[in-house]
Amino acid sequence: MSDTVEITVTVNGTVHREQVSVREHAADFLRHTLGLTGTHVGCEQGVCGMCTVLLDGQAVKACLLLAPQLDGHEVETVESLAPGEELDPLQQAFKDAHALQCGFCTPGFLMTATALGREGRALSRDEIRDELAGVLCRCTGYEHIVTAVERYLAETPARERADV
Amino acid sequence: MKPAPFDYIRPATVAQAVDALDQHAGMARVLAGGQSLVPMLGMRLMRPSALIDINGLEDELGRIECSGSETTVGALVRYATLERSPVISERLPLLAHVVRYIGDRQVRNRGTLGGAVAQSDPTGEMGLVCLALGASVLARGSGGERTIPIEQFFEGSYANVLEPEELLVALRFPLAPSRCRFFERGRKHNDFALISVVAVGSEDADGRWHDVRIALGGINDRPVLAPAAAARLEGARWDAAAIEEAAQLALEVADPPDDVRASADYRRHLVPVHVRRVLTDLAAGEDR
Repeated sequence: MSDTVEITVTVNGTVHREQVSVREHAADFLRHTLGLTGTHVGCEQGVCGMCTVLLDGQAVKACLLLAPQLDGHEVETVESLAPGEELDPLQQAFKDAHALQCGFCTPGFLMTATALGREGRALSRDEIRDELAGVLCRCTGYEHIVTAVERYLAETPARERADV
Repeated sequence: MKPAPFDYIRPATVAQAVDALDQHAGMARVLAGGQSLVPMLGMRLMRPSALIDINGLEDELGRIECSGSETTVGALVRYATLERSPVISERLPLLAHVVRYIGDRQVRNRGTLGGAVAQSDPTGEMGLVCLALGASVLARGSGGERTIPIEQFFEGSYANVLEPEELLVALRFPLAPSRCRFFERGRKHNDFALISVVAVGSEDADGRWHDVRIALGGINDRPVLAPAAAARLEGARWDAAAIEEAAQLALEVADPPDDVRASADYRRHLVPVHVRRVLTDLAAGEDR
């Protein structure tokens, strides 16, 4: 029995080889081991969606993944959206639509919407709401968040959304 | 949150997974999507000696296969795959529809059909649909594979007949009846169901219904069929009187719990109301 295992995981395009505790969840690994604190930890029981990251392009809750499960996979976190000083079009849409107040939930929404955008589907407001239902916000009341994602999907060409 | 210590095992084959289950003699848990298991580990509602991570077994457990009228869905097929699979939407449209009521986008990207059935949550949608569609559970143990009719699978709340060293490997569905309707009510969006109802059947040219099955979730300690209600409607035309009788007959199987979400009396009240509505909608041609 070993308490730790070695994993090789690609995070935001960088390959990391790390020794991880098998009991650690993926969000803690990203924050504590890699220092990527953009992924927030809320409920740690799969309800609030703060810790949403992309695993092989799919939105998942990092608190419900164990760190050893990342081995051999590719992870994208909110840090991947704007590598430089300029905001990603989705982040800009959130800013323009006043889709954040305290900002704690924002990484969860951004990553969920990033995966959604890459699907290239045309979505109604209700469908957007349903797709975002796995992330909770206690400040804005969702209207502005839905508006931001709606504008982003309408105004950003599908190709650009895929090329993050 | 951190789970209690466990041995993390990542088998390369189903045979290795079964071996590992055998070695841990009932103290291990299988990690599939982890959307129910991982929170339970964090809350220490479970303290397994080992976690057997089957996520690397896509080749053996992640397939959807058709053979004649039968459709076999591997235990590791994720909800999101069921949502988008053209094969599932053509052959098992009820399954494709109901999967959207589970959790949220993130949960559906990870959660698996086999995991849901093995979890045997009495309010779970997948167990209910498997029951309504008369699926079989394929389980593999050290002695080989066996097929368990879903009617004999659930034993109680979060309990089923799988042996400790058996791995659920697939669900096999017979040809689905052409018509189906699902309803679910919870206290809030995405919450556990207070009641869920499925009715399936086929209507002939004379307006008579055949192969009628009615299943209830969230009402008993496991998903249950309502055979008396289905028998009342089998071979019959569904007028308002027949539907009302069937709705009342559905109460025969109801043995609801009192819990934080609702009283037993309230759940019993909901049964005929929602069975009637589901049947009325189905008779009116409003499927799904």
